[in-house]
Order: sequence, then C-alpha cells, then structure tokens
Amino acid sequence: MKALAHVLVALALAGVQASLLRWVGGGWFSLSLLAACVVYLGLSEGNVDGSVAAAGTGYVLDLVTGSPKGLHTFLCVLLFVLVRAVSAAVDVRGRGPFALLSGLGALVLSLGALLLARFTSAPEVAPGALLVPRMLLEAAATAALAPLLQPLLRRVDLLFDREEPGLLR
Amino acid sequence: MFALLRRYRELILVSVLLLVPLGVFFANARRPSERTRLDRAVVWLTTPIERAVGWTVTGALQAWSGYVGLRHAQERAVEMSREVNLLRMEKQQLLADRAEAERLRRLLSFSEQSSDRTYLGARIIGVKLGPTGLQLVTLDRGAVDGVDRMMPVVVADGVVGRVHSVSGRTADVLVLTDRNSSVAVRVERTRARANVRGLGKPDAAHLEYALRSEDMIEGDLLVTSGTDGVFPRGVPVGRVKDLQKHAHGLFYEARVTPAVDVTRLEEVLVVTAWERAAEIMPAALGPGASTP
Repeated sequence: MKALAHVLVALALAGVQASLLRWVGGGWFSLSLLAACVVYLGLSEGNVDGSVAAAGTGYVLDLVTGSPKGLHTFLCVLLFVLVRAVSAAVDVRGRGPFALLSGLGALVLSLGALLLARFTSAPEVAPGALLVPRMLLEAAATAALAPLLQPLLRRVDLLFDREEPGLLR
Repeated sequence: MFALLRRYRELILVSVLLLVPLGVFFANARRPSERTRLDRAVVWLTTPIERAVGWTVTGALQAWSGYVGLRHAQERAVEMSREVNLLRMEKQQLLADRAEAERLRRLLSFSEQSSDRTYLGARIIGVKLGPTGLQLVTLDRGAVDGVDRMMPVVVADGVVGRVHSVSGRTADVLVLTDRNSSVAVRVERTRARANVRGLGKPDAAHLEYALRSEDMIEGDLLVTSGTDGVFPRGVPVGRVKDLQKHAHGLFYEARVTPAVDVTRLEEVLVVTAWERAAEIMPAALGPGASTP
C-alpha cells in the first residue's frame, strides 16, 4: 500500500514537473524529480517496499517519458539498490546530503539511459556525449529542488506509520 | 528449498525487479513498443492527475504572474491614460490647425483668383447673431488696418456681408442674412437679375424682385451682380429654394439658402479695393466679358 502511495506521488510529481518545465524555462533545462523519489525510497524504505515502489516509479517514468519499456524501471531499481548500498556505508541525514544524492541519482538515471540507449539504438540515432551538459544541468536542478520534496515524501510515509505501543504501556 | 527462498526473498525480489525490466527493455528496445491495457490504464489514471496538477501549477503561476503584472498596472494605466489624454489634445490641436490651414489656403486661392481686388484677411472675434438687433460679426481689423464702412466681406464660398461700423482695431460686419442687408444678384445660369434680402436668421434669406418672366429653377446659384456698388461681381450669394410662381404678380417668391454659413466662420476677407468702374460696365464691353 505504501509502495502504491509512493507510485501515486510519483505520478503527481511527474505532472508537477511537466507543468514546471512548461512555465519555467520552457524546456531550456529539465528536472528529474522522480530520481529524488527513488533516492528517498532507498534511504527510508525497506528492500521489499522500496524496490517495488522504485520499480513502480520507473514504470511511471517509462510511461510519461515515452522510453522503451523497462528502461527506467530497471534504472530506478538499480538506483534504489545503489542508494541502499550508499546508505549502508554512509550515514545520510539532512537535506544537504539528500540533495546531493538526488542530484547524483538523476545523473545515474540519465547516464544509464544514455548508455543503454546507445547500446541498443542504431548508430545514427543513438544519443551522444552532447547530452552530457544537459544531464549535468538536470542533476544540478534536481539537487536544488530535492530538499523541497523531502517533507512531502516524509508526510506520505507518516500516513502509513503506526504508532508502536511501547514497552511501558 | 522454501527456506532458502524465504531467506533470500528480498534479494530474489530485487533481482527479479532488476532483471525482468532489463529483459523487457532489451526485448523491446529495437522495435517500437505498443502500450498494453495496463499501460493505457495507468496513463488514463495519470492523465487527470497530470491535468489537475498542471492546472494547479499553471493557475498558480498565472495568478502569480498576474499579480506581479497587476502590481504596477494601476500606475501604468494612470500614466497611459494621461498620455492618451495628451495625445488626444494634440490630435485635436493638429486637426484644428489642419482645418485652419485648409480654410486659409482656400481664402488665399480665392484672393489670388481675382487680381483686380485687394483683400485684407481678418479673424472673427465676436458674433452677434441674436434674433433681436442686427446680425453682426466682429472682426479683429479696424480703421487702423484700412477697413472702412460698406466694404464687402467675403470668403471663398461666397458673400459674408458688408462692414457696418468700424472702430480703431475692430469692425462689425452686417451679415447677408440680416433684415437690413440687401444684395443685388444675378442667376448665374441665366443672368437674370434679382435681389437677396436677409430674414434675420442665419440660415435663410429672401429672394426679391426676380421677374416671373425670367427662367429660374430651384437650386440656381445666385452671384453678386456688382450693380449695387457694394459687392464685386460674381461672388456666390446662395441658392434658390422654395421657388413659387404665383398666378398673379410680377415676381417670383423664393427663399435663398446662403452660400456661407456665418455660424461656422473663423476667418474672412475684407475687400478693401476693387475696380468698380470695370465691373459696372456692360458685360459686352468689360474686360471680364468672357467670364460671368
């Protein structure tokens, strides 16, 4: 249920992102708010819920971006695993590290999509290194906006958190 | 076996979630993938959300931009309104200047047409066209400028009147439509003689002494005949209106629509000199025999 809620939040965020990019910049730069969602899942959710939600988010990303099926689903689950690995090694707290991880997550998603698309596309249509500056800009913009998402995602989590009775009751 | 699965279920799940999409991707990467029912259902589900969020975001952005835009709108509107008023005033001034220039151009053209006459331009500075008393307009030229009593006053359209009284810097002109005003005229078309007398109102005069044996129709142009010794010959006076030919009597009954609307005049010409002798000569002998 929680995973479904996160997928729905991802859907809403995809709409927000599309609207923002429509009115702000007009496409001059892009955002990857769903990468921040996946990073948050990797930092706060368990393996089962988190991976399912990440796959759902990736599936949504595939649908809304028109990518080949499975591309972002795979990349989001991969990002989730990577974030889990990072959070196991490093204690990630606060908005700054979350923003940094979100930016890196956005970069991982876009670079991963670039590599996989290059691997499977015909040479004349394969994306090239020209896109890397845009990817960096997207990562930076995502990192800048990610701290604003954190409270929203926490609030979604709180909807499903049950208060534990505690030992003293 | 089940214990193993249970033990590594998370790892297996994550691996499945990684490998299945990757397999789907490689399977579909080289051909255009079609949306399944599930895809369409999800997109159908996402569309209203995206629209709603889009409306909210765009509405907020529009409201914000509208607010920011409106913050100075009042000042801009006041400023532009002031500017529009100024421009309107300038436009009115320009139109007035243009109309004045046109009137002056016509007066100049009229004065150049008759080289045997000397004109003095004057502006109307006062109007006394009340129903009682004389029908007068006051000019800004007087005796100092060479204006004298009985001098004809004309414009390009025709006769205005004659100078009635003169002071140092101004002169009163008795307009054509005053009851005391009488001008000797000819019908331009037939050269028939008559007299035009004012009725005391600015838009009409009376035709006198037009012999009913003469050829005359409504709309005939009446011009000064020059025989009264006041007005030069050939200046338009008005057009015949309401022409009546009674069964008895010597003359026609008719009204005259003055050629000049004195209520709209601003500048006039005072004819200060003209060659009377030549003009009162018989047409066959005069220098202007070829022109009426």
